[in-house]
Amino acid sequence: MGTTASQLQKDLLSEYQELTFLTKQEILLAHKRFSELMAKEERSSPSLRVPMEKILTMPELKSNPFRERICHVFSTSDMKDGSLTFEDFLDLLSAFSDSATLEIKSHYAFRIFDFDDDGTLDCGDLEKLVNCLTGETEDTRLNPEEMRQLITNILEESDIDKDGTVNLSEFQHVISRSPDFVSSFKIVL
Amino acid sequence: MDWNGSQRHGSAMGGYPSYPSPQESLRLRRRPTNVADQSSPQFNWNPDRKEDERRQDLKELPLPMALKKSIWQVQQMKIPAVSRWQSWKMQKSKTLKRFRESSGGALAYVALWRRVLQKIGGHFGGGVQSYFLFLRFLVVLNFLSFLLIASFVLVPSIVFQSHNSGNNNTVNISAGKEECTTYDPNPQGLVHFYTYFIDLLTGTGFMEYSYLFYGYYNNTEVITNDFSYNIPLAYLLTAGFYFIFCLICIVIRMGSAVRIAVKTGGKAVGGYSTLVFTGWDYGLQGDRAVRLKQNSIRYQLQVDLEEERIKLKAASLTLAQIVGLYSLRAFLNLIVLALIGGSFYGIFLATEFSQGYQGTDFVSLVVEYLPSIVITAANFLVPFLCDQIALLERHSPSTTVILALLRAVFLRMISLGVLLFTLWSQITCRTAERGTCQPCGYNHTLYPCWETRVGQEMYKLAMFDFITVIAVMILVEFPRRMVVDHCSCKLVKFVGRQEFVVPQNVLGLVYGQTVVWVGALFCPLLPVINTVKFVIIFYCKRITLFYNCRPADRTFRSTSSNFFFLLVLLFGWMLACLTLIYSVAVIHPSMSCGPFLSLTTMWRVVPNSFYSLSDTTREFLLFIGSQAFSVPLFMLSCVVLAYVAALASVYGQSVSLLRAQLKLEGRDKKFLVKQIEELSSVTKRREQNF
Repeated sequence: MGTTASQLQKDLLSEYQELTFLTKQEILLAHKRFSELMAKEERSSPSLRVPMEKILTMPELKSNPFRERICHVFSTSDMKDGSLTFEDFLDLLSAFSDSATLEIKSHYAFRIFDFDDDGTLDCGDLEKLVNCLTGETEDTRLNPEEMRQLITNILEESDIDKDGTVNLSEFQHVISRSPDFVSSFKIVL
Repeated sequence: MDWNGSQRHGSAMGGYPSYPSPQESLRLRRRPTNVADQSSPQFNWNPDRKEDERRQDLKELPLPMALKKSIWQVQQMKIPAVSRWQSWKMQKSKTLKRFRESSGGALAYVALWRRVLQKIGGHFGGGVQSYFLFLRFLVVLNFLSFLLIASFVLVPSIVFQSHNSGNNNTVNISAGKEECTTYDPNPQGLVHFYTYFIDLLTGTGFMEYSYLFYGYYNNTEVITNDFSYNIPLAYLLTAGFYFIFCLICIVIRMGSAVRIAVKTGGKAVGGYSTLVFTGWDYGLQGDRAVRLKQNSIRYQLQVDLEEERIKLKAASLTLAQIVGLYSLRAFLNLIVLALIGGSFYGIFLATEFSQGYQGTDFVSLVVEYLPSIVITAANFLVPFLCDQIALLERHSPSTTVILALLRAVFLRMISLGVLLFTLWSQITCRTAERGTCQPCGYNHTLYPCWETRVGQEMYKLAMFDFITVIAVMILVEFPRRMVVDHCSCKLVKFVGRQEFVVPQNVLGLVYGQTVVWVGALFCPLLPVINTVKFVIIFYCKRITLFYNCRPADRTFRSTSSNFFFLLVLLFGWMLACLTLIYSVAVIHPSMSCGPFLSLTTMWRVVPNSFYSLSDTTREFLLFIGSQAFSVPLFMLSCVVLAYVAALASVYGQSVSLLRAQLKLEGRDKKFLVKQIEELSSVTKRREQNF
């Protein structure tokens, strides 16, 4: 049976229900999975950070090519090392949940794709994004010619104000025309 | 959702580390100042907003949890001065919302096969998952239809037959001619043992005179002092309501799909950016699934880029080449039409031959199933040949897929229609001599109880479809996988493992459901048989998916196809509705069996019982049917339709206006940034001069 020291208090549970898109069962399951990542003696302190390497051992994130960017985006650590507290973890699951809105999903997707964290997607970000999508090894990348053609096409389609980068509004405009996004931007424990 | 609030709140709330403040980015001067305005979210502190909106806002705020908590605490401290009535209302709405959330959670928990569907979606993508979702929808639809039919037709029939001591039942004996009323479904004498097996598969023998088929139901009409139940009327009205219920379910399910299809305009505009930004499925788990998805995305990108290069080259085709291409396509289409026409003729011949054959041995089993065999063979062969022909047509890949789907749909639905047309023309003596239909109004020599025969035909179609699915799985898919895994010759490796082709599987489901709809009037237990059949197919397809199939190379666009599949299902529904109307209103029901044996058409039971209603109800119904009501109703619907169409066009126009405005704003920003640069360079030069 589970240890009582690591149980979630009722008022915290209702507060999390108010502030995230998760249901009660999902929050409790998240708490259980998160406690399993911590060592036994650390389980009682609620504001403990779990380092990124431990988070990335979870099967839902282990093979995801964007796993490190996801940890960096949701982490509130001052040292920018991608470590997550339980509340960061709940934020992550809330953004990736079934009932999250399109706006919040597109907002976080934009931040995940923004590899250099400057607020826009420029050619470097787009190139790294495409490499994540096709595979990082040498024989799975697109050749430079194809990459250039692809990035030109992407910017032509989505860069409305023609400044050479894709900002959040343009990104959300592209996302809103794709009906599959909400169902594919989902991680369920 | 408006994000105007002061910048001060955003940076005072613990510092959002990722984005530079507006002053910094101006100084950096590397990019235009559109960074902080849109990217860092702010919270609208306007106290006039309702509490529900504010709570929803809080969830949708893409801020870390700590910031959301502090906003919430500040919100809680601001207690607005409301009256007692308003505070009671707010409390009630809060409890209602909590109740709705918890019941939604409970409902999701009991949703059928939820975990299985999630797993399928994670490993094989949205396209394959949409097939299984469609299958689940059909299972639930069939089960609810069975409950409808059981409660209004089956259970009363069983109850009234067991209470057949005769106190208040009136069973009308049909006053027809002797030759029309003889019907003997139970052949006398010894029968061989294997006939039971044959009877199970064809619905004859011991299964014919049972609750399974129309012929067993009587036209009992129970009239007691405070309770009256008219079985024929119930039978007919239940069939009608069954069809309307299915239509409503399909239309509701289509509603969301239509909205999405209209919004995206149907075309894949912005294909590259959509693929790159939305192409990844975050639910995938495991290295193998991820690698396969990466391969599929890379393949799709490379093919699209290649197509674009080819298109640039092909834009320079000469006139002679274009003419040659189009004449080739016309010729190939003629071949396709000839193939389809040939298969229709084959079905016609097979149905005629099988209806006239009498016999009880194993050969007769094959002959009974001949129409089903021919339809299934045609539906395997002709699409395969059309695919080979389509390779020569040299359309773009998306056009090829749509053409193949259209041809397959056309073939399946119309072949079923040909079977039904042949059947009905035999029943109404269109192909036989005139004399056989004179005494009874239908072909009584061949069909003493024609409704049961039609029900048996539909039962055989459904059974054969089921057997085919199981047989293909056992005899083709499992051996194929074993051969691919254990044999290492080049040809086998080239062919590879089975791919789960979604469109053909969905068309199979639509065909099965159409057969059930056509047969439901004549075989009332067909929906429950279909429910069991679809449940077994679900588990079998799931097994074959996980053991034998590999994920598709080209991912299947699930949402636009969802709408297409529901459209095809609706088309099948219309075909079934047509047969229902024709059977109910035109053909003379059998005089030897069934609940309608004393009437000239099945529909007559409604006007006959109409006169037993009370006066006010009768007048009300007459009024609704009259012109004084229906013409104004029609005009009102036209007005509403025109209003909705005008609204839709206005929204479309405002969308394009907003896009143009976005472009203008971008240009304004660039102009302002240039001005700032010029001014700051001027001031810098002046400083240097001093």
